[in-house]
Amino acid sequence: MPDTMEFPRKPVLVLGASGFIGSRVVAALTSSPLYRPVAASRRSAPAVDATDPKAVSGALRDVDCVVNCIAGDNRTMLRSTRVLCDAARISPPRRIVHISSMAVYGAATGWIHEDKPPVAPISSYGQAKVECERIVSKYVEDGGDAVILRPTCVFGAGSPQWNTRLAHLLKARRIGDLGSAGDGHCNLAFIDDVVAGILAALEAPDLAGRVFNISSSADLTWNEFLVVFAKALGATPVRRIAPRMLQIETKLLAPLLRAAAKVVRLPAIEAITPSLAALWRQDIQIDCSAAVATLMLPQTTVNQMLAATCRLQEPAFS
Amino acid sequence: MIQDAGEIVRDAIVHAEICIVGGGPAGITLAMTLARAGHGVLLLESGDLGARDEAQDLNAGEVADESLHSPPDKYRQRCLGGATSIWGGRCVPFDPIDFKARPWIDHSGWPIGYDEVEPYYAGANALCEAGEFEYDARLAIQGGMRPLLRGFTPRHFDLNGIERFSCPTNFGRRYEAGLRAAGNVRVLLRATVTHLQSSRDGSRIESLHVRNVRDIGFSVTADQFVLAIGGIETPRLMLTSNDVQTNGIGNANDLVGRFYMCHIAGTIGSLQVNGGSDQVWHGYDVAPDGTYCRRRIALRPDVQSAMGLGNAVFRLHHPRIADPRHRTGPLSAIFLAQKFISYEYAKRLVSDVPPTPALWMRHGLNAVSDPISTVRFLGHWLRDRTLAERKFPSIIIRPRTNLFSLDFHAEQVPNPGSRITLGSAVDIFGNRQVRIDWHYTRQDVETVARSFDLLRDDIARQAIGNLSLAAGERDIEDVVRRDGAYGGHHIGTARMAASAASGVIDRDCKVFGINNLYVAGSAAFSTSSQANPTLTIVALALRLAHHLNSIVNRTSNVRVTEQSMVVSEL
Repeated sequence: MPDTMEFPRKPVLVLGASGFIGSRVVAALTSSPLYRPVAASRRSAPAVDATDPKAVSGALRDVDCVVNCIAGDNRTMLRSTRVLCDAARISPPRRIVHISSMAVYGAATGWIHEDKPPVAPISSYGQAKVECERIVSKYVEDGGDAVILRPTCVFGAGSPQWNTRLAHLLKARRIGDLGSAGDGHCNLAFIDDVVAGILAALEAPDLAGRVFNISSSADLTWNEFLVVFAKALGATPVRRIAPRMLQIETKLLAPLLRAAAKVVRLPAIEAITPSLAALWRQDIQIDCSAAVATLMLPQTTVNQMLAATCRLQEPAFS
Repeated sequence: MIQDAGEIVRDAIVHAEICIVGGGPAGITLAMTLARAGHGVLLLESGDLGARDEAQDLNAGEVADESLHSPPDKYRQRCLGGATSIWGGRCVPFDPIDFKARPWIDHSGWPIGYDEVEPYYAGANALCEAGEFEYDARLAIQGGMRPLLRGFTPRHFDLNGIERFSCPTNFGRRYEAGLRAAGNVRVLLRATVTHLQSSRDGSRIESLHVRNVRDIGFSVTADQFVLAIGGIETPRLMLTSNDVQTNGIGNANDLVGRFYMCHIAGTIGSLQVNGGSDQVWHGYDVAPDGTYCRRRIALRPDVQSAMGLGNAVFRLHHPRIADPRHRTGPLSAIFLAQKFISYEYAKRLVSDVPPTPALWMRHGLNAVSDPISTVRFLGHWLRDRTLAERKFPSIIIRPRTNLFSLDFHAEQVPNPGSRITLGSAVDIFGNRQVRIDWHYTRQDVETVARSFDLLRDDIARQAIGNLSLAAGERDIEDVVRRDGAYGGHHIGTARMAASAASGVIDRDCKVFGINNLYVAGSAAFSTSSQANPTLTIVALALRLAHHLNSIVNRTSNVRVTEQSMVVSEL
């Protein structure tokens, strides 16, 4: 095609390409005339183990940029980030876009800008994300070019955490209107907005070492979100959940499910972990004005998110 | 933060930008809203987190006619959450007609219209946890709610208005965590305000005298003060603070405490509905957001105008519980369990007939002879009321024979002769207790009587059934006297008006002639409507918060920090 001849598409390595965010980044890169995705995951062809220095060094050869969407267990996240930055020191890409998380803020409350230090207690996941950010920051100090994006709860069709899990829980009436346990601010990042932010971060000038909160416009509490989500799912009438029921879920059922999962293969029963319940209460409001100004981050409303998500229904919604 | 006033040292001065007296639904709404807007708020609550006798005793007082009005220590709770710690949760907005000057009702008309309150109702609904602000039966539930009486299209009533129910939300328990977490709110529990100290020229409130439970006094200074202590305590505190203005605060025209309104409410008549049980649905529907909703039979505004009546609604109700002739096991079980029902609810449910041994026996027989219904009802009550977080709002029992009674809830017109004054006895702090002298008028009785006649005619004309009165109910005034002032609705004692000649507070809820004193709560209402007051109390509190936010920003531009509230010793 003539335009491809004139503007060769830049290869972008996507680590964690089979994950929820990674797969959407790959799709967006594929449909973009500017980029050519190089999908890297254990399930890609050829398979790439992001914790293997040799494999990552090989994958880094001849790519323009890297998007690090590695999820999974904390040790894997840490190791793959370290491997990536070490390999990049030898064969530096033009830029690394590292996907972190709002979990790095821990128990912080109020309006949160990117310079807010973590507040204890921080979950082990948040702690791992903090460590990953340190590794990336060191890479920048050493002369590399990397941008850190901190998405909030990434919502959209296929989101295992904030879509599938919550949908199951709402349909089972295990959650609903949570009363004072759901008064926390609901910070959602719509997957399309996150992907747009990632693509913008590949190109925007002078971003080395910059950190951006990534969230979509949503001035609502978890209670309000759960009620509108339940309505969109048809999981009505929404049930009011007693505090004692949430306590039973977090203190009894969640540990039992976790212990049982180690012994037998359980059907998909979502646990309401103490950290999830704490998030629903946490009055944390993520400020993403920097990303809006610099990355032109789109701000999808909750109604638009729900309309788009429920249009692209997955089996959980059927 | 929430703190016990016992921690405040003697003669200390606590300063805040905005001081709210009273931690009921109005006070909590104001505190949370103003704090979110960045203001430093001090909330003084006389009681504790829960009601205790020592605080409840401060509600004592006298009643001119005890057969008409409950004692002043009933239906009033001195604790965080106030009366929402015992309310039933019924939420209904006022109607536009309630705010209008109606030539046929003396002293009617607010200085504000419905359109000035309406923007705050959605927020009030959310705070009351009554779901969406949608009060049309055709829209509250997709496809519309079930018809009340199939095929009934009355000439004089609207059947599409509904009431929605709060959990019922106890504002104290529900919002305690938020108040604790808010950096710029300080709640002082067990802090009883005993005096409003005005400046020498009487133009502003300089400080409040406050006592804690150990009778240690301290003062509170603030830029703005709000009284949110209910329709009985508001006039009491204003009247008793009479050292500078001898008539009391804001009482130059002798209007504080007058126009005391409750609602005219009770249960009346027998409605025999024609046809099968599918012809009638008097229970609740559940909205998608989980709220219980119920249709009402509302007297249309044009009919009120044409016939010179007040506002009124009816609801279909089960037969009178105390009358064993209903032969319904669950109703008799409730009669037998009356010792376990609080005064506030038992008064309406069962207390209209003196319980004699013969009566107990007949109810016992009913319960025993209808065991399946009784057990089924108890199971439903345990599951949907006792254990449920969103509680089934009231007793709904489907009579076997389509025989119902009617609940009525009607406006009481403003009457300057119905009033709260100071009594002769004093409380433990030496303040005079209240004296309640509640009166209804002929017009109040007429509203109920004429509305009942209109409904009876509408029902008969469309062959829906037969609505009749029992022998003892033929004179509606007897029914009004039997049920008396509706408990817990204390309205109008510091009413909003266009000028000081006709009311106590202006359109912004500011006391006439005093620059920094505001009134929230149902004391501020100019008229009583047919609606239960809590939703409108919260809506008006949101409106007042909006006003205070604009005033403070405009006049002093104070940057609020935690340091704006300091405790210092003299």
